[in-house]
Amino acid sequence: MGAGITSIILVVAMFLFLGSGIWVAISLLAVGYISLEFFTPSPAGSLMASTIWDASWNWALTALPLFIWMGEILFRSRLSEDMFKGLAPWLSWLPGRLLHVNIVGCGVMAAVAGSSAVTCATVGRMSIPELKKRGYDESMSIGTLAGSGTLGLLIPPSIMLIVYGVIAQQSIARMFIAGILPGLMLVLMFMGFVVIWSWLYPHKTPPRDIRMTFFEKIWSSRRLIPVVCLIAAVIGSIYGGVATPTEAATLGVIGALILAKASGSLNRAAFMESLLSATKTSCMIAFILVAAAFLSIAMGFTGLPRALAGWVNGLGLSAPMLLFVLTIFFAILGCFLDGVSMMVLTASVVLPMVQNAGIDLVWFGIYIVIVVEMAQITPPVGFNLFVLQSMTGRDIVQVTKASIPFFCVMCTGIVVLAAFPEIATFLPQYVVQR
Amino acid sequence: MRDFLDKLYKIGGYLAAFFLFAIGATILAQIAGRFFGVAIDSTELSGFFLAAMSFLGLAYALKSGSHVRVNLLIRGLRGKSKKAIELWCCGAGALATGYFAFNAVHFAYESFVFGDISPGLIAAPFWIPQSAMALGAVILTIALADEFVIIAKGAAPSYEENIDAVLADEPSDGSVTDAADDRPEKLRA
Repeated sequence: MGAGITSIILVVAMFLFLGSGIWVAISLLAVGYISLEFFTPSPAGSLMASTIWDASWNWALTALPLFIWMGEILFRSRLSEDMFKGLAPWLSWLPGRLLHVNIVGCGVMAAVAGSSAVTCATVGRMSIPELKKRGYDESMSIGTLAGSGTLGLLIPPSIMLIVYGVIAQQSIARMFIAGILPGLMLVLMFMGFVVIWSWLYPHKTPPRDIRMTFFEKIWSSRRLIPVVCLIAAVIGSIYGGVATPTEAATLGVIGALILAKASGSLNRAAFMESLLSATKTSCMIAFILVAAAFLSIAMGFTGLPRALAGWVNGLGLSAPMLLFVLTIFFAILGCFLDGVSMMVLTASVVLPMVQNAGIDLVWFGIYIVIVVEMAQITPPVGFNLFVLQSMTGRDIVQVTKASIPFFCVMCTGIVVLAAFPEIATFLPQYVVQR
Repeated sequence: MRDFLDKLYKIGGYLAAFFLFAIGATILAQIAGRFFGVAIDSTELSGFFLAAMSFLGLAYALKSGSHVRVNLLIRGLRGKSKKAIELWCCGAGALATGYFAFNAVHFAYESFVFGDISPGLIAAPFWIPQSAMALGAVILTIALADEFVIIAKGAAPSYEENIDAVLADEPSDGSVTDAADDRPEKLRA
């Protein structure tokens, strides 16, 4: 049977399983099984058990549950209250004023949480009512949250980058280091957009209502500063090469426990809750990852990825053209798949293609995470849109409209990243050379 | 029977949580060891703990609705068609995971028979961590079959209970306790 027919059958099966609501990980297992059992002479069962086992005790992956746990602990320590109170005094002098709290708050929260829905919900929970009370433009307060809420995927320690590092076999420390500058760049671009907007529509920004001395400012952010320091220490220890990501994550967990204890929000129940919910999330991601590892081996046996990569190669697409096509492809895929599933599902086919085109895999990781971020705020399945929709009580059309400008800012960000790949690759190379 | 099954998933979940804690503990030992000049390599052990955590918690995660699925096409369904599609999901899911469980058990058993030993410093018999994988897969299969029966009897699937947990209101004490289930980027809102 030709490669064409085989791939059509497998793609149809995949859509059938996923579309009918079978859990993503189980769909991957099933398609992997079908491709081995019916299209190769290899023993599907024993390959399934052995590849899944090999993928499941991967040392690089141990950082993932620990970082998730760290986020769970911090998340329970009144972070969303502290975020607004702690940031507002420092940012109210900027044009656009407290709208920047949304952006910077998401940037900080992103470093803690590593998931965009949580980032969005935590920051928005406090800031939406506060901004409304002060008379800020509603569509801008929703838009800033929608856009910068997605930063959770990119700013290290990011779950997404760990997942990518594992499937693309890139060092997770390098992925984290590479994510720093593009993350900051996006934060600055969002803030820049708000500044320009407030210059264009000066009457839409309420007057400055917070005036504090320096020490009052410090006092009002007293609970936020330790969290920021903890994040800085965790990322710094990876950056400085003193700790592996897993070790940094362990220290992060201990730091988070100490902070939670100090703020009085840590008791036995909260501890168990954070541990259990970190376990659930980690199990979910690990299951998808090991199932994808099996699928990817199974696909390798059928020879499809090679054939497909060869075919794309034969088209003679230039690297920018390939990226453009992939962006469209992911944008469509992102309409009904979440980030992790999207990444693991396509990795076995897309990564060889990308490598063939001479694109740096570290850079591509950052690029793909931003594309996934964008998918978070495109309907019909933009998860951040849902979060904001239920939080604000506005319908999906209004929320989507509010997010469009920020979607465009992210598109610009991607183009800038493609034009200047050094934004992602400079820091990792610098660290390696040192 | 109901009690026994619920306990089974819960024990799996708590064991998984214990192993997550254990990963942290072994890594901490490694860091402390380096500090005092003792070489402790926890790479292998924490990998085993990771595998144990991942598989033992699968059923628990399923029951609490943590596993992601594409809900776009089926979320509008009600009544009979809804029941049919959920039965299909659980049935096909139980078959697929059952196949995996069978092979995982066989795999661990073979490691036991051939006396496979891990390549690192610990040189642990491979069948020990592998049986955690097998056990987790078996429990997941049971959980899916269990769901199948629950739905067939006409009840709502238990993995759907906390569908809107993302925006569950904060409890009055101001701490966010219901965050447990909004971590994964779910597709089901």
